[in-house]
Amino acid sequence: MSFSRWKSLLALLAVAVLFLAACSGDEVTDAAETVAEGADEVVEEAEEAMEDEEAMEEEEAMEEEEAMEEEGDGEAMADTGTVTITGPERTEQDVAALNAAFAPFTEETGIEVVYTGSADWEAEINVAVEGGTAPDISFFPQPGKLADFARDGHLKALPDATSSAASANWDAGSWAFGTVDGGQYGIPAKTDLKSLVWYQPARFEALGYSIPETWDDLLALTDQAIADGNTPWCVGIESGQATGWPFTDWIEDIMLRTAGPDAYDQWVTGDLDFTDPAVVGAFEAVGELWNKPGAVFASGGTIAATNFGDNGTPLVEGDCLMHRQASFFGGFLPEGTPAADGSEGAVDVFYFPGNGTDRPILVAGTLAAAFHDRAEIWQVMEYIGSAEYANTRQAAQKEALGGEGALTGFASAVKGLDSSLFEPLEQSFVEIMATADVARFDASDLMPADVGAGTFWSEGTSFVNGDKTAQEAAEAIEASWP
Amino acid sequence: MAVSMNADSGLGSILYRGLSRFPMWAFALLWLLPSLGLFLNSFRSRDAQRNSGFWTLSPNDLTLEHYETVLGASSVNSMGDSLLNSLAISIPATIIPIAIAAFAAYGFAWIDFKGRKWMFIGTVSLMAIPLQVALIPLLRMYVSGAHYTLPFLDKTLTLVPAWGVNGTATAVWLTHTGFAMPFAIFLLHNYISSLPKDIFESARIDGADHFTIFWRLVLPLSIPVLAAFAIFQFLWTWNDFLIALTMIGSANPDALPTTITIANLAGDFGRNEHLLPAGAFVQAFIPLVVFFALQRYFVRGLLAGSVKG
Repeated sequence: MSFSRWKSLLALLAVAVLFLAACSGDEVTDAAETVAEGADEVVEEAEEAMEDEEAMEEEEAMEEEEAMEEEGDGEAMADTGTVTITGPERTEQDVAALNAAFAPFTEETGIEVVYTGSADWEAEINVAVEGGTAPDISFFPQPGKLADFARDGHLKALPDATSSAASANWDAGSWAFGTVDGGQYGIPAKTDLKSLVWYQPARFEALGYSIPETWDDLLALTDQAIADGNTPWCVGIESGQATGWPFTDWIEDIMLRTAGPDAYDQWVTGDLDFTDPAVVGAFEAVGELWNKPGAVFASGGTIAATNFGDNGTPLVEGDCLMHRQASFFGGFLPEGTPAADGSEGAVDVFYFPGNGTDRPILVAGTLAAAFHDRAEIWQVMEYIGSAEYANTRQAAQKEALGGEGALTGFASAVKGLDSSLFEPLEQSFVEIMATADVARFDASDLMPADVGAGTFWSEGTSFVNGDKTAQEAAEAIEASWP
Repeated sequence: MAVSMNADSGLGSILYRGLSRFPMWAFALLWLLPSLGLFLNSFRSRDAQRNSGFWTLSPNDLTLEHYETVLGASSVNSMGDSLLNSLAISIPATIIPIAIAAFAAYGFAWIDFKGRKWMFIGTVSLMAIPLQVALIPLLRMYVSGAHYTLPFLDKTLTLVPAWGVNGTATAVWLTHTGFAMPFAIFLLHNYISSLPKDIFESARIDGADHFTIFWRLVLPLSIPVLAAFAIFQFLWTWNDFLIALTMIGSANPDALPTTITIANLAGDFGRNEHLLPAGAFVQAFIPLVVFFALQRYFVRGLLAGSVKG
């Protein structure tokens, strides 16, 4: 390597240092220009090969400059009326749909809304709050996390006007997901329905089976199918580090049906122990169903080794009759699978039944909550809680996914939802949500993370594998409750 | 007799070579297998990936669709922008630590000053600090600066002004630079201190000062180790996810590097996981180019300082 190369290396270093100085100064533009000029002078001596990288540096300086101008500080943002939102939804279509959902709002009010999805939302929101760079609004997939931030004083409670305007659009159960210690912090932004069983109507008809109306019917159907030589269920609970979560959904759904919503709430807060007969009974009920010889098809060999997302193909190809999974499962069906259109091979859902007279549903989803207190943020929050937001988002998401016939994975329990925007399959989600008597949020998202995102998954998996009995697993989970 | 001896030793050496290299090839293949599987999967359709392993490759499943989707991605920013952002992070984060560490390593190795040994031990022991623990304090410093209030005097000193560089590539390469420094100094010091003493002495006799020695002797002689460190550092900063997520995160989606853009492709519940193999090869393309361009320095650099000259 010749000396002129090293000179150019040094030139790059000089550029970088100047550039750093530029960032700390107030007159960003001037400093950046100085950098560019200085760089030009030095680089004349450098070899051509290095000039490309030089250009890169300059480009970077320019980008930074723009970024700095856009960023500004809190006050500047207030002046321009921009509201930043972060959340866990991050596919191209989701982001496009979210931005489109805010377009009419921006047109009406002049408030810019910028949404950013994060691949690691949970880690990132912690860092942002700790580091003092919290967004204006974030979508929380876990009400438990929202409650933690609210209790630590990071979140701002909704002003009364916003709260009363938005709450009119929601039933009391869904609205309560955003309530923390009597204050309202969150507004539901998206609802995933979990109490669903996926099946093929044509196959049911051919076999002469009918949709089970009660838990007993469901067990009877399972036995009937085994006797007829069919495998009734597809089950897989593998999900990388989160292995076990589909098992917890089963337990939660059964808890809601056997112990009731009040006991469910006590269970979530830790007042009802995991070792309580109600919980252990739910474990045993699931274990009994899954361990019946011939009851479960697991494409990965065992239930715990089968990825939850790999159950779509066996269901469609007839390896099993039923699969219990949330509304988002439409995104895991093999490409081109018809959804609830009456055709041969179409996939539909029915409500996961219980023995009681009421119809409880298990839901998940996201809640919007604000980290700052500004008038335009509350306007955005109110808009998120409206049917207009949900309708615009659904329309935009469908468009982004290819229009007619596309399953969006989006659903909402908001009142005034325009069901004509949804596919027939999605309309049945909306209908089940609308006709439910009781809605409860996914318990594992509400429990302390050590349990809800820890032992409930891992000990549940041990139980499914047969390494532990229901009682042993329940005791281990209870012992880990902080 | 002589002929048979030759044949004997020829056969023996062939046998020996074959046997001694067989494990090497076997291990190389074994090590490559996951990458090969990933590469094949990157061309297989979503349903094929979900239902079977890469070894069941059939021509009907093959598609370039995933590469099209990945390269055309625009979820938070476009793939082209992300690649440029990654370069905007990796290039300064590679060049700056090398430049500073080369000076420092020379100083530690060949300039005799008081406390040199302890300063060097102090610098090198900083390698033991996990960078994760410093991320949030660093982010706070970038956002609001560092201030110290003198006790009893009620006077606040601003040690570092509020740069407000969070959300920019600057914050990322600045962080990488800081954390690269101890290892860079350590590696370069070991190499530079092993250069023969004689050349320094004769240079001194000829009237060269420290800067001339560094510039005209040390740097040209250290190119293998500089290149080796550059490879390490470039790969590490190019593939970094955590620091970029912390320092840029959602504050400025336009500045996010490729790693984060690709992770965003997977979608919630991993419903687009089938895009990740293709994403991995898009991500790996530039490091592969860098590696093959600099690989002849690689082994030489790995041995840097292991044998005293």
